[in-house]
Amino acid sequence: MSNLLLCQGNFCTFLCPHGDDLCLNSLKDLFNRATNLSQDIYNLSSKMFKEFDKRYAQGKGYITMALNSCHTSSLPTPEDKEQAQQTHHEVLMSLILGLLRSWNDPLYHLVTEVRGMKGVPDAILSRAIEIEEENKRLLEGMEMIFGQVIPGAKETEPYPVWSGLPSLQTKDEEARHSAFYNLLHCLRRDSSKIDTYLKLLNCRIIYNNNC
Amino acid sequence: MKENAASRVVFILLLFLYASLLNGQSPPEKPKLIKCRSPGKETFTCWWEPGADGGLPTNYTLTYHKEGETLIHECPDYKTGGPNSCYFSKKYTSIWKMYVITVSAINQMGISPSDPLYVDVTYIVEPEPPMNLTLELKHPEDRKPYLWIKWSPPTLTDVKSGWFSIQHEIRLKPEKATDWETHFAPKLTQLKIFNLYPGQKYLVQIRCKPDHGYWSEWSPESSIQIPNDFPVKDTSMWIFVGVLSAVICLIMVWAVALKGYSMVTCILPPVPGPKIKGFDIHLLEKGKSEEFLRALESQDFLPTSDCEDLLMEFIEVDDSEDQHLMPRPSKEHMEQGVKPMHLDPDTDSGRGSCDSPSLLSEKCDEPQAYPSKFHIPEGPEKLENPETNLTCLQAPQSTNGEGKIPYFLANGPKSSTWPFPQPPSLYSPRYSYHNIADVCELALGMAGTTATLLDQTDQHAFTPSKTIETGGEGKAAKQRESEAYSSEPDQDMAWPLLQDKTPLISAKPLEYVEIHKVSQDGVLALFPKQNEKFGAPEASKEYSKVSRVTDSNILVLVPDPQAQNLTLLEEPAKKAPPALP
Repeated sequence: MSNLLLCQGNFCTFLCPHGDDLCLNSLKDLFNRATNLSQDIYNLSSKMFKEFDKRYAQGKGYITMALNSCHTSSLPTPEDKEQAQQTHHEVLMSLILGLLRSWNDPLYHLVTEVRGMKGVPDAILSRAIEIEEENKRLLEGMEMIFGQVIPGAKETEPYPVWSGLPSLQTKDEEARHSAFYNLLHCLRRDSSKIDTYLKLLNCRIIYNNNC
Repeated sequence: MKENAASRVVFILLLFLYASLLNGQSPPEKPKLIKCRSPGKETFTCWWEPGADGGLPTNYTLTYHKEGETLIHECPDYKTGGPNSCYFSKKYTSIWKMYVITVSAINQMGISPSDPLYVDVTYIVEPEPPMNLTLELKHPEDRKPYLWIKWSPPTLTDVKSGWFSIQHEIRLKPEKATDWETHFAPKLTQLKIFNLYPGQKYLVQIRCKPDHGYWSEWSPESSIQIPNDFPVKDTSMWIFVGVLSAVICLIMVWAVALKGYSMVTCILPPVPGPKIKGFDIHLLEKGKSEEFLRALESQDFLPTSDCEDLLMEFIEVDDSEDQHLMPRPSKEHMEQGVKPMHLDPDTDSGRGSCDSPSLLSEKCDEPQAYPSKFHIPEGPEKLENPETNLTCLQAPQSTNGEGKIPYFLANGPKSSTWPFPQPPSLYSPRYSYHNIADVCELALGMAGTTATLLDQTDQHAFTPSKTIETGGEGKAAKQRESEAYSSEPDQDMAWPLLQDKTPLISAKPLEYVEIHKVSQDGVLALFPKQNEKFGAPEASKEYSKVSRVTDSNILVLVPDPQAQNLTLLEEPAKKAPPALP
């Protein structure tokens, strides 16, 4: 594996141009760690959502309000395998970065507001805290990967801004729970997206579509 | 009127219903959507459960709309998934999007829609079990034999591109056993199993799980027969292990035998007994309680201010109360516990130091700075230096009767001579009473230093009733001073001697000498202590010749017949002590 040839449809890129194993191994390592983190974030957010659903959302029909409520829906993310495979790895990476960045702020507020909820189970709060932490770490890792795979990449692109804080802080308990439900639902979905895209990239870049 | 109309409508409806019931027909019961599943995150299928059909042929229609869209679609494929199912092919499947699905049962009588089901394909993934499960027994040379299990990913899952990530679980058991042995195999397509029992038939099953989704079903059982001659263990390895452990045991036995005790003490250190300084079991056992307590007390503890009993150390051993010294307890106690050596530069209490205009002023040629600490120069070094002078100054010379205990003033080279070489190894960093007393005892100090006989101290050793007053006894000290440069030693001088375990070299018990006088050139005249009341010194025998130095830093003096006459001659001149300040 001297040169990592990245070919995807119309575009090929040579990574690690000097062909040294150190570069390849470090990239492999980075991806490995990133996928582990993203898998962990997904697991946490999935459990958190289920816990919240079981405790606060039974029979409430919050799901109807959760449709189209994600602040990241403006990002042009691919929505099936074919679309994803046709997306260039640069685009995929910038999408991942955009998703990660746009979740920094909501995660921070999620932790703060969940803390303030009366009788919130520790399972929810502890997971929220952990997700916030791991999100930051994954963002760092992704920025490193991005810098290595696409040297000279542009600076941060604009990412969707979350504006759901007032609804999280409203006094009406039903409305507040509904807002939480939305947020957790969107978090679960976006962490699944990030995880899938990363694994796609990993197999594509490191293993040459031969995972 | 209105009431009439309403009642009429109700009547008609009831009639209608009755008619249909009579026919056995009714609108269908609401169907129920059971579940939707996706095998590979690329397609999915939904199943429903029909209700009662109401006696009429009933059709089911599945309709859905996607999140963010208003358009309602109908199920594209009712067949592929089996009866009462709807199959969504790749074309119609979107991930990370909510589907709102409804099934309606329609018959002639009516339509009954089900409750909507909100489905996101991401979370409903349940793959098929892995395929092509193969079992193979391998027995490579020089290595352990094993069972090699291989399989391939389930259908419809795209693992190569990374779209689908799987974890595997394999379980196996001997055919007749009840419990399965489960192994986890993430992301691999093969597994090696060791330690199988020969002569058994094993059953193997496998299942898998996507990274976000449900476990698949267990695959059909595969079986394999382990032959009877299948070597379970690698014997050569066990032989090696046995030999190695035997060698290690031998080494350990040998090490224990050699250093058994030290090892035992290393592992189980002996519990240290209580250690109190000066605590001598042997003295206690012998029943010499006085000596024992003496030994205990002579340690350089810092006595508390209310320990009157400790003050006995500074009480003169002598019977006569007049001759009691009274050290200032509180202050001097703080000084390293060494009264004899204490030089308090702050209080010029007239201890007869060189700087005070006291009796001894003439003896000191150079203004001696008070060493704040007692310092006895190294013995052996100073032996060669005859000029170094040790001055044992007597506290009782103080006029205010503070009754200082004899202390040592180590001077630099002085012109005043010291008739005998300094005792070796007088230096002691501890400045204990012990050493001071020894030194004071030996040093023919300028101030008269006397020591009572050991046995005399016994009776007074434990009399805490001897209080120390600064007033009256100071006068006694003063009185004594006037007669001779002598004073009573403090008891602490006696204690250290007691505690000095070093046997006296001479068979003859050491007697204490008193400084009879100090000659002009700093020569001390020592006489054996004749009587307790210090009166006119008797020039019977002057101890001015050093015989030897004992181990415990004691100078043994013997009378020097040559000096006798000289002393006698000088005596009268010194009889009158200089005026005290």
